[in-house]
Amino acid sequence: MKGRAGRGLAPVAWLAILLYVLFLLYPLGRSLFLSFTDRNPLKADSTFVGLRNYADLFDDDRLLATLKFTLLVVVVVTLVANVFGLAFALLLNRDTRNYRVMRTLVFVPQVLSGVIVAFIWRSILTQNGLLNAALAQVGLTSDTAWLGSTNLATLSICAVVSWMTIAFATVVYSAALRTVPPELYEAARVDGAGAFERFRAVTLPMIAPGMTINVVLCLITTFKLYDVIAVLTGGGPANTTQSTAYYLLEAAFTQNLFGYSSAIAMLLLALTAGIAYTVTFLLRRREVRL
Amino acid sequence: MTRRRFHTGFAWLATLLFCLPIYLALVNAFKDQRQILANPAAPPAPFTFGNLTRALQRPDLLVQAGLINSVVVTAASVIILIPLSSAVSFYISERSRRWKALLLAMFALGLMVPPQVVLLPIVGLLQSVGLQHTYTGLVLSNVGGGYLSFAVFVYVGFLRGVPREVIEAARVDGASDLRVWWQVVFPMVRPATATVAIFLGLWVWNDFLNPLFILGPLKGQTITTGVYLSVGTYSTDYGQLFGIMFLAAIIPVIGYLVSQREFIHGLMSGASK
Repeated sequence: MKGRAGRGLAPVAWLAILLYVLFLLYPLGRSLFLSFTDRNPLKADSTFVGLRNYADLFDDDRLLATLKFTLLVVVVVTLVANVFGLAFALLLNRDTRNYRVMRTLVFVPQVLSGVIVAFIWRSILTQNGLLNAALAQVGLTSDTAWLGSTNLATLSICAVVSWMTIAFATVVYSAALRTVPPELYEAARVDGAGAFERFRAVTLPMIAPGMTINVVLCLITTFKLYDVIAVLTGGGPANTTQSTAYYLLEAAFTQNLFGYSSAIAMLLLALTAGIAYTVTFLLRRREVRL
Repeated sequence: MTRRRFHTGFAWLATLLFCLPIYLALVNAFKDQRQILANPAAPPAPFTFGNLTRALQRPDLLVQAGLINSVVVTAASVIILIPLSSAVSFYISERSRRWKALLLAMFALGLMVPPQVVLLPIVGLLQSVGLQHTYTGLVLSNVGGGYLSFAVFVYVGFLRGVPREVIEAARVDGASDLRVWWQVVFPMVRPATATVAIFLGLWVWNDFLNPLFILGPLKGQTITTGVYLSVGTYSTDYGQLFGIMFLAAIIPVIGYLVSQREFIHGLMSGASK
């Protein structure tokens, strides 16, 4: 028998697997189980209610509003971050000291926690904040409540999350661009390809795997958006900027609806996983075609 | 020549515009409230450390306590995660193809599950063993959750590039599995360890959800949750706000600047996979 190394490591390996089971797989199973009950910590007993929580999801106008809002933010952020991230990466794709410094600076928003980023932006966008102060300084008296009305608050959240995500996308695209062999550009140039042709025929196919990763990570991270909303708007005005993840935590920890919130959790998981898998599948297929 | 200059100029303009919010947070940490509102974008003149000293003199010791707690939680989580994840990855990569696929599929789940989905059962689990509202509970949930998945995928990916002969040779020499892992494999996967340590360190440090719900508001805070829970009431005292932000952000930013080569390297290996 061909011996396999690593058996002696089994105790350590299984300890890791045990922790993973306890803190990821078990909680997942438990959430699934709870979603079929009317568990509420304030009541002594809970009963099995079948699919009632799931049926209730469709009648919950607030939930549907959070889904609409979340999908809007996810689509906007993923598009904006990838378009601007790629453009930024192309702009900074040179290997001199200047450009290395610029690439270092662009990533900084990703190094800060979402809470800090959101506080910085809140002090800029709030009604008596820095943006309005700066506008007043150049003679435009402005008391726009950038976080106060539904449309502007939604726009502000999209902008702030896009800002953070552009930083991430730029660095991933920069890394992907460095894997493109310069000979390919030379060859394309010799064949008389213009800048746009070179981008379409050389750059895009070569960075396709990086694009897949970037798009999928943008989707996954934006779906679980919580901290930026908590700081920037607290879900307001009038709950119009609540993400589904935010609403889920409110239902679980503020309203104590363990059963119902678990059904929301399952919906959120199914949406995230379903969309991430579909997009990966589509982009991978496209990678091959490119 | 002029075209290149123009390109560089434009690139700098775009970069600086993009970083404007960070610039604002930085300069305003060293200006008093009146200066901030009079001209938010101006550099600090006169330069003041008042915001920082005021942040450090808060009676609740928000900054000091938060920083210490964050350092402890982050260090403990990463120090436990690294040997655990590298060992389980080595173990996985030595298993038969079927087992390997199964274990990797199991760990892949952790990359995708939004933390909100599992938070309630985790809190319940910690409560039932008396670890809710403790740092041990927070560290354990960091170690067992999605971070482990990330580390496993980095290590397993990297281990594919480690030549089998090296491991076989060590085993022929009679080294135990534990020694092969610790003395042969672990040093060889150093770049992977750097990637894992840097990213997990940053993520655990910046984590918001787990500390907020596991530690709870009364039982001490990390710097991230501390800022969130206490700064809200100071939202119009920009001097105070930016002073606290500066102190809260300085450690990860310096860490990033120091380790940025490994940072970019880690992202590159991720992007090419």
